[in-house]
Parts: sequence; structure tokens; C-alpha cells
Amino acid sequence: MPAEPDHPTEERPPLVEQATVRLRIVGTAVLVGVLISTGALAGTVLAGAYATSVDTAFALGSLVFGFGLLGWSGAVALGRGIESMQNHLDTGTGWTEPDARRAMARILGFGLGVMLGTMGFGSVLVSA
Amino acid sequence: MISTRFVLKRLLLLVPVLVGVASLVFSILHLSPGDPALTIAGERASEEFVRQVEESLGLNDPIWVQYGRFLADAAQFQFGESFIIQRNTPVREVLASKLPVTLELALYGQLIGVSLGIPLGILSAVKQDSITDHLTRIGALTGISVPIFWSGPLLILLFAQMLGWLPTSGRISVLYNVEAIRVTGLVTIDTLLAGNMEMFVSAVRHMILPASVIGVYSMALISRMMRSSMLEVIRQDYMRTARAKGQGAKITVLKHGFRNAMIPVITVIGIQFGGLLGGAVLTETVFAIGGIGTLLVEAIKVGDYPIVQGTVLTFAFLFTLVNLGVDITYSILDPRIEQ
Repeated sequence: MPAEPDHPTEERPPLVEQATVRLRIVGTAVLVGVLISTGALAGTVLAGAYATSVDTAFALGSLVFGFGLLGWSGAVALGRGIESMQNHLDTGTGWTEPDARRAMARILGFGLGVMLGTMGFGSVLVSA
Repeated sequence: MISTRFVLKRLLLLVPVLVGVASLVFSILHLSPGDPALTIAGERASEEFVRQVEESLGLNDPIWVQYGRFLADAAQFQFGESFIIQRNTPVREVLASKLPVTLELALYGQLIGVSLGIPLGILSAVKQDSITDHLTRIGALTGISVPIFWSGPLLILLFAQMLGWLPTSGRISVLYNVEAIRVTGLVTIDTLLAGNMEMFVSAVRHMILPASVIGVYSMALISRMMRSSMLEVIRQDYMRTARAKGQGAKITVLKHGFRNAMIPVITVIGIQFGGLLGGAVLTETVFAIGGIGTLLVEAIKVGDYPIVQGTVLTFAFLFTLVNLGVDITYSILDPRIEQ
């Protein structure tokens, strides 16, 4: 899917529309994360080896979440500078700040989804 | 004038950066092999004692509870006590004793990089396609390409072993006790504050080689950026207008060109600070200077998790603070950036 265009300040869509787009990007990734982690953990329960899998799944989720969050904030804080540096050093790779931000938002959403899915599944296991 | 809103927005960005780093540290330590409770208790400890340690560290709680507690502690810069390296010493104390070493190295490295890189970049741009330009560009390319683990020993061999001009390792001569005059932890500053010129000279002589090693890398990138940025600015209409009005070439470049050409260079200086901290790990090892980088490597090797967590988060915090400073400088140079 092509990246959504980055609008100049005066042409940006209304705030509600921007929020919806961002929510959709993160929300779908969270959903995918929840589904995948729940499915994987259910598989380990069926296989009878769930003792450490909840911990490992949560740690993997937090790894992805941490990477995504760091990448997102890095893109916001340094993105324009990196773009400008690439232009000045003639090493343009087509990397842009808005694209990086969107990609990282999806990654952090997925990680968050895995963490939430693991928490939910783990809590059910503990109470059962 | 910088707006408070701009600074606040940039300060808020510190939060996700630190949460991201804390999450990465937590997950990596959790996924890496080794049992912290067993490390603390010792290989020969009884099972009951290991369980007691586990309980006291909260390792029996669900992982998300441990994660939440870790984030809450990290938010207050509480990392507990060192397990192994300095047993039972709070991590904050360990870091406070080592951090100034790395900071001093990075600061002098950056100082060398900026003070040489900017003039060389301007010179290279103003004398485009001349011998000076070619030499500067070759120098910059060499500086970027040569790794610290190679240039460090090479400089030691040349300036310390063969010529005998400078010391090979350490921060100051073993004859002096710097702990007695410790104020900032930065040896060069402390010796100066104490008014002891012999100690100061010794500290500076010890700093020259390691700071040069990381400074050369920094200088190379800054001069390359400065040249490219200055070339772009020189071609602007306002520069041509200033020259057409009879202003001298030097004045035009320094008065009108420098400020605008500095904008992308300042960004690089900030981004590079992280690189300098990373480079300091290698430099500290090559020159046997016990800083925070060496501490991190040692902590990873022996599995001293609280030190690893504290060090990595301190690195991240410093890096983001420097970038906040860069953003503010950036907005002073070009107020449109705040928009």
C-alpha cells in the first residue's frame, strides 16, 4: 500500500481525520498483535509447554514495542535532520520522516498488541 | 526568542524515547540467558536462598507486573544496587563515579571535531575544486573510514611509543591523587579549579590522544557536511546580492553564509553525540580509561543487570538531552523551524 502523502501545514486535513488515520494505523497493528500472540499461546497450551512461553511472548512483545517506540520518537525528533543530512551528503536513500513514523507506529502497535494479548491470556491461565 | 511551547513539546518527546529504551533493555535482559537470582546468590547457594532472592527481587510476579515496576523505577532513575561489579553499591553511585570520564572524553572529542571540522568545511567550500578542497575531502573520507580500534593503537605507537611525546593510557599520571580534589569529576576541570598546573598539564597530555581519536571521526563528518551546506548557501541570491553591493568575500561568507550553513551541521553534531558516546566505549578500552562505556561492557560480561539498565538509560537520557539542545539552537538559527 502506498504511503499517505505528507501534507504541508496549511493543507493538512482536519484534526479528527488525522487522528482517525493514526488510530487506524496503530489499532490494526494492535489487533494483529493480540490475535497472533493469543493464537501462539493457545498453541503452546495445547502442546502442554506454556510455562515459560507467556514470559517469552511478553518479552518479545516488549522488544518489538520498545523498538517501534524508539524508532517512532527518533523519527519525530531527528527525522528532518536525517533527511537533510542525507541530502547534503548525497546519500539519499529515499528514506523520509513521515514514512519512518508510520512504519514505526505499526511496529509499536504490533508489539503493544502482543503484550496485551499475552497479558490477557496469562491472566486467564493464572485464574483458571 | 524560543517559545515555551516548542521546548515543552521537545521535552515531552523525552518520554517515549526513554520508555522505548527501557522496554528494549527490559526485554533483552529478560530474553538473555542467565538467572539474576542465581547470579546474586552464587553458584553454591541453596535452593531456598535462591528462592528468597527471587522473592526479594520480585521475580516471582507476573512478567507484566515486573515490566510495570521496572518502568516506574526507571522513571525515577532507581536501578537498585550492583550485583557483582561493586556489590551492594547503588547503581546511581557507580554511574556518578564513571559518567564524568566518558563525558569528558566525548566533550573534548566533539570540541576537536567542531573546532577543526567547521573551518575546514568552510575553507573547502570557498576554495572549491582547489588542492585544499581535494586534500580536505580526502582527509574527511579517511577520517570517516578509519575505525577507532585501528587509529587508536596507531596513534599510541607513533606519539607515545616512538616519539614519546604523550602518555599511552590513563587519565592522569599515577603520581597524583585526583580524588582528593574532585569537584566535577572532569579531571582537566578539577585540576584547573585546584590551581595545580602540573596536574592540569598531566591531565591534558593524557586527554590529547583519546580525544583526538574520536575527534578526528567527528571532524571528518562535520567538515563534509559544512562544505556541502556552505556550497549550497554560497549559490543563494542573497549571497550574490551582498557581493554585488561591494561586500568583501570573507565578510559575505562569515556574516551571511555561516549562520545559514550551520543549520544542517548543528543537527549532525547532535546526532553524532550518540556516536561519540558509542565510540567512547572503544576509545576507553584502547586507552585504558575506566569510563561508563567500559563499565557497560564489563556489566554485560558478568551479568550485572542493574548496571546494564542504568548505563543504557543514562546514555539514552544524555543523547536526548543533547538533541533537545540541538533543537533549541536550531530554532534560534532559523525561527521558522518552530512552526
